[in-house]
Amino acid sequence: MSSSAIDAESPDLVCQLDNVQGLVDALSAVRWKRHQDAVIELSEHGIILIVEETGCLQAKVYLQRELFVRYEYSAQGRPRFGVSLGLFADCLNTFSAPGHSSLIEIRYPGPDMQLLVKSVDSPDACIYAEVRTRIPDMISWDYNFEPAGSTPLTFTVKSAALKEAIDDLEWPGSSIQIKLQPVPPSVSFKGEGHGDLQIDFMYYVNTDLLIAFHCDREVSYRYKYKFLRATTSNLPGCVIKDNRGSKLIIGRGGMLKVQHLVSVARTSNQHPHTDSAGYQQPSRIAYIEFFVKPEEDEDTIN
Amino acid sequence: MGKVCHLFLTREKAYFLHNLLSGEGIQCVAQFHKETLFDDYRISSQNEDCIAFAIDISLLQRAVRSGVSICSEIGAAGSAANRLQIKLVKKLPPNCTQAMPFLTFETKGYKSAVIQDVPISKPLSRAQGLELQTALDMAQDIPPTLVQVPDLNQLQNFVHRMKHVGDLLKVSIYKYGDLHLQISTTLITLGAEFRKLLVIGEKAVAPSEDRNLSAQTRSERAISRGDAQSVQVSVKHFSKSLQCHLAKPDCAFFGIAPQGACLTVIFQFFIPGTR
Repeated sequence: MSSSAIDAESPDLVCQLDNVQGLVDALSAVRWKRHQDAVIELSEHGIILIVEETGCLQAKVYLQRELFVRYEYSAQGRPRFGVSLGLFADCLNTFSAPGHSSLIEIRYPGPDMQLLVKSVDSPDACIYAEVRTRIPDMISWDYNFEPAGSTPLTFTVKSAALKEAIDDLEWPGSSIQIKLQPVPPSVSFKGEGHGDLQIDFMYYVNTDLLIAFHCDREVSYRYKYKFLRATTSNLPGCVIKDNRGSKLIIGRGGMLKVQHLVSVARTSNQHPHTDSAGYQQPSRIAYIEFFVKPEEDEDTIN
Repeated sequence: MGKVCHLFLTREKAYFLHNLLSGEGIQCVAQFHKETLFDDYRISSQNEDCIAFAIDISLLQRAVRSGVSICSEIGAAGSAANRLQIKLVKKLPPNCTQAMPFLTFETKGYKSAVIQDVPISKPLSRAQGLELQTALDMAQDIPPTLVQVPDLNQLQNFVHRMKHVGDLLKVSIYKYGDLHLQISTTLITLGAEFRKLLVIGEKAVAPSEDRNLSAQTRSERAISRGDAQSVQVSVKHFSKSLQCHLAKPDCAFFGIAPQGACLTVIFQFFIPGTR
C-alpha cells in the first residue's frame, strides 16, 4: 500500500466513468459463482480486477484509463486491495438506471481504506457507497502465459457461438478436449462423460463463425468442463448483441487463454447496427481474459 | 400485496385493507369515498352500518374486469344507463345445506346479463370489526412531515437493485425536504439521498453549513437537531410497497409515523380530470 493512502486529501485514485452498466457487464463476466474474492490493482494505465479459483482458473478484467472520463492517479507503486466481487458488482448496479446514463466517481482509498463510489451527475439526488476493502491474502497463481512455439495457436470465434457450444457440452460434462488441426483447418470441442459430443468449427466452411484461425500443427488438450464453462457462463448480453468475437489462444503447456471484449461506450453514442468491434473506438472496450490450466493427464499430440 | 384482503364498508367510505390485523410486514390501506366508486350506495347493518369481510383479491379482480369489459361494450353501443350492480347476498351453493355469503356482480349488457358470485368470508363480528377499525385508525395517523418523491420509477429501480446488497434499510426523512436511504453491513454502506423535495407538514430550513457535508454526517446532525426522523425497514417490504407505482399514482409521499412506529407511504390518485 502506498504511503499516500493515509492522506485522505490526496487519494491514490480518483476517476469518473459515464457508463456504469458497461462496468457492471465487464465485472459480471467474471462472476461464475456466488461468493468470489477479487483483487483490484490500480496503476497509471488503468484498473485491473483479478479473480481466481483453486489455482486452475484465473480471470482478469482490464479497465484501461481511456474508459474513464477522468482518471487521476497519484500513487507510488501499484496499490492492491481485495473486495468481494459480487458485492462490488451489485453495488455498482444500483448506480445504473435503465435508459439514463449516470456519471459516477470512484475514489480510493477512503478514510478507512474503503473504496468510495458516488454518483455526481445531479446535485439534488446522490447515490453513494463505501465498499470495505481488505489486504489481498491470496497469492496469485503464477500463470505465466507464454506462446507455445514460434507461431501462435489461436482462433477467434463468435462469442455467441462459443457460449452455445460450451453450454451444449454440459451433458457429457466432466472433461472437454479442445483440438486444433491445420488440415483441414478446424477446431473441435469433444466431451466424453455420460455420453460423447463433438462440436467442430471448420475454418473455411463458415468464416462467419470462426473469424480467424492460426495453427501450424495438430494440438489437443483437455480442460475441466466447469472451468471452461466459467469462461462464458456469465457473458453479458451486450457481447452477444454487439456480435463480438472471442479470441482463444493455447499457450505453452496447454494453458488456454480466452479473451472477450465488453463495450463500455456510452449507450447514446452507440450505433444501433454495430456489427463488429471495428466500428467502435477500441479505447471504449474492457478486455476480459480467462486463463484455464489443462488437466494433468493431457495427451498432447505434437 | 397478498391473496386476501378485508373489504370494510362504512356509510361514507369503502376500504380495502391488507394485513391490518397483524403487527408485521406491510399494512396496506386503500380508501375510496363512496362517490368515487358508486353512483348509488346503500348500506345498513346492526353494527352502525359498517360491514367488513375477507375477500380473495384475484376473484374480485376477475369479476370487476369482466364487468368493465361488458360495460365498455354498452358504452360503445351508446347506452350507459345500465351499470354494474354489486350486492352482498347469502345464497345456497349447489351440494350445500348452508347458505354462504357472496358478493354478487350483476352486469346488464346490450343483449345479455351476467351475474357473478364472488365468495366472501362471513361478515366480521362486532369485536373483530372494532379491532379492524382501531388498526385502521392507527394506520391513518398522518406523519408530521411528508416529502413528495417525484420520480417513483427511479426510486423503485434503485431499491430493487439494493435488495442484493443488504436486508435492512434505514429511511430518514428531513423537515427540509430530504429523503435519505441507507443500507449498512459490515462490508458495505450503500445509500441514496434525494434533496429539495416538496414538504407537507412540519418544515425547517436546511442550515447552510450542512450543505457540503457527506450524506451520513448530514443525517446524523439533522436527527440530533430534531430536524429529521429515521426508521429501519426491510428492503424487501420497502421495495414491495413501491410496486404501487405500477398503478400510476398521481403523487407519492413518504413520512414517518409519530414515535417512529412505521414508515408511511401515501399514494394519491385523482379522479381523472379533477386535478
